[in-house]
Amino acid sequence: MRPFLLNIWSFYVRLTARWPSIGSIAPFIPLVAVWWIVVELQIFPRVFLPGPVEVVRSFGSLVYTGILPEYLQDSMVRLAVGAFWGIALGIPLGILVGLNPRAHTALWPLLLFFQAIGDIAWLPILVIWFGYGLITITVVIVYTVIFPVVLNTVLGVRSIPITMHRAALSLGASRTRILWEVVLPGALPNIVTGLRNGLGYGWRALIATEIIVGTSGIGFLMFDARRAGSVVEILLGMIILGILWYIVDSWVLAPIERATGQRWGLVTR
Amino acid sequence: MPYFKVNPRLFPPLSSVVQAGIEGIEDGTLIQHIGASLLRVVVGTVIALLLAIPLGIAMGVSSVFSSFLTPLLRFFSVLAGIAWIPIATLWFGYGFGAITFVIFNAVFFIVTYNTLLGVSTIPLHVRNAAASLGAGRWAMLTEVLLPGALPNIVTGIRTGLGFAWRGLIAAEMIATNVGLGYMLFVARDFYKTEVIVLGMIVIGILWLLLDRLLLAPIERATIERWGMVQRA
Amino acid sequence: MKNLTIRNLSKTYFDIYAGTNVTAVHDVSLDVQQGEFVCIVGPSGCGKTTILNMIAGFIPHTGGEILLDGRPVTGPGADRGVVFQSFALFPWRTVLENVAFGPKMRGVGKAQREKIAHEYLALAKLTEAAGRYPAELSGGMQQRVGVVRALANEPDVLLMDEPFASVDAQTRMTLQEELTRIWQEKRPTVIFITHDVGEAVFLANRVVALSKGRVLEEIAVDLPRPRSWDALNDDVRFKELTGRVLQLVRSA
Repeated sequence: MRPFLLNIWSFYVRLTARWPSIGSIAPFIPLVAVWWIVVELQIFPRVFLPGPVEVVRSFGSLVYTGILPEYLQDSMVRLAVGAFWGIALGIPLGILVGLNPRAHTALWPLLLFFQAIGDIAWLPILVIWFGYGLITITVVIVYTVIFPVVLNTVLGVRSIPITMHRAALSLGASRTRILWEVVLPGALPNIVTGLRNGLGYGWRALIATEIIVGTSGIGFLMFDARRAGSVVEILLGMIILGILWYIVDSWVLAPIERATGQRWGLVTR
Repeated sequence: MPYFKVNPRLFPPLSSVVQAGIEGIEDGTLIQHIGASLLRVVVGTVIALLLAIPLGIAMGVSSVFSSFLTPLLRFFSVLAGIAWIPIATLWFGYGFGAITFVIFNAVFFIVTYNTLLGVSTIPLHVRNAAASLGAGRWAMLTEVLLPGALPNIVTGIRTGLGFAWRGLIAAEMIATNVGLGYMLFVARDFYKTEVIVLGMIVIGILWLLLDRLLLAPIERATIERWGMVQRA
Repeated sequence: MKNLTIRNLSKTYFDIYAGTNVTAVHDVSLDVQQGEFVCIVGPSGCGKTTILNMIAGFIPHTGGEILLDGRPVTGPGADRGVVFQSFALFPWRTVLENVAFGPKMRGVGKAQREKIAHEYLALAKLTEAAGRYPAELSGGMQQRVGVVRALANEPDVLLMDEPFASVDAQTRMTLQEELTRIWQEKRPTVIFITHDVGEAVFLANRVVALSKGRVLEEIAVDLPRPRSWDALNDDVRFKELTGRVLQLVRSA
């Protein structure tokens, strides 16, 4: 029996070494199978736990009616806008705090405190200030994204050995040039980690905001379905969320993070 | 005193925030909200940890299981907390159950994942050394696997608590009638911005206390002393 | 003639842990002629790295003056190139780009600076490594890149801060011989810091023995060039000189 299992496992390992994507997908097959079996056996009432077949069917109909693509687009656009501003503001701020000891002493405690408040807690007051529109959602996402970006950028900037600054100085580089030639590349692996974390948090914040005050988007889809009592769409929303983020994170962000770190022989955490 | 006319409804002065705080303590509502929120966090986290750490260790010991199941865990870690709210309220109704479930999820998957990661990265020669010194199964667990995986476990707990805290506030906004998130959300309906600001400050302070007084000392006492992680 | 003149140099700073003022360097004077190879030797903590950092302009001096070509030194610059103990190569740039960095800062065009870089890489026999990243090289090779990177910028003075301390003994001997060979071709002015007495005598025209922030003595090294370890290991004069320096350094 054991050699048989070992053979299967070894086959699997070789397969995934050749095509890593299979390794990302294969574990879900038994999960879906278990799900399907649990539903068929009616362990939970069907209203509580619909099966994979119904979810797929719902997916089909939502796509057909155009609701799903539209909601998806709304969510993505909001995330993109918020993430853009979070990054555009976060990286320079991070570099400033990382390089300037006075800025660091002044701003670090503030950063930590505001990070502790958390994004969602801002929602009520933002709604009072700006209403329910795009500004509120964007501000929440920017707020969420900016902290991991700033904190990781600061970490990256501070981890550049001083000899590297000095080497550049002794080769005739001016302070501005050092920013571009030493600080940015040196902090890049940490910045990418920050981006990855920031996007992850931003994604979650987006969904939360859409659930609580949204009028469209995947989060809203789930909330609306809840109100209508339609479990299928809730599950569908969750699965889409998971798959979307999983794809973006594993196949886009993680390779970028690995590539910058490994290529330059720098260690990323 | 204000330099320009700012609508105090939009931007409450510090004095009214403090006032709201005092009132909230006096009539007990603030304490009630804080208590409810903390209780949910504690219960959800404790249950999650009791399940996640053993599971993570069991899975991590076998490289077959860990490499196969990792994608699953990572997938579910992504669905941290907040996405579970709609279905949680459907399954458990509004209130304590649903919110604690959300917190449980926020902590469970990420801690399992990190524990698994931690155990699987313990160098083989360390485990071999323990075995060659006569360590039995139980000793291996308590003397090698747990301490070795501890940095990752602590990181997982820290991240998980972060997710849990956020998920808590978000869930309390729509799924219950007591708790800090609820306090914030209901104040919005009545334009009581001083209550909102009070709530935000309380949330911030609570998290900072949690982090500084609970998590950081654990990290310091264990992994930093063992020289496994350096403080920048 | 771009000479380096150091007069009555001193460095005093406030040590937070000791709670008092600490003088790392006392009244050091040194004249370095263009094209000389000077080694400053002393035990750890004697202040030699501090002196180098002051000449390089990385830290300010609290007393005395440092003049290069008659002009006082204020801050780091391309006229004083530095080779670091930790190599300090830019890991995100190839070897070629690292060596071309100095010229790039001066605004030299791409084709021209790559030509210069290739020239210097050839000098250090590193041509095949041109397209590699520093992480792919051994420690010894990385330091050779560090040396030619500083040289390619043709500084008035080359400051070397215990550059071979981080490599193994055999590589160190090879690097020392390489360095003398390169020096004989290009004749830069070099100030080389080390705690290794043998290394100092091997490389230098003049050895400055330093201890506790003070100059003990300057010793001229009259060994013929080119120098190699095979020849010098049993050389009487070499042993004499190293013995003398060692005695000085250990006695203080």
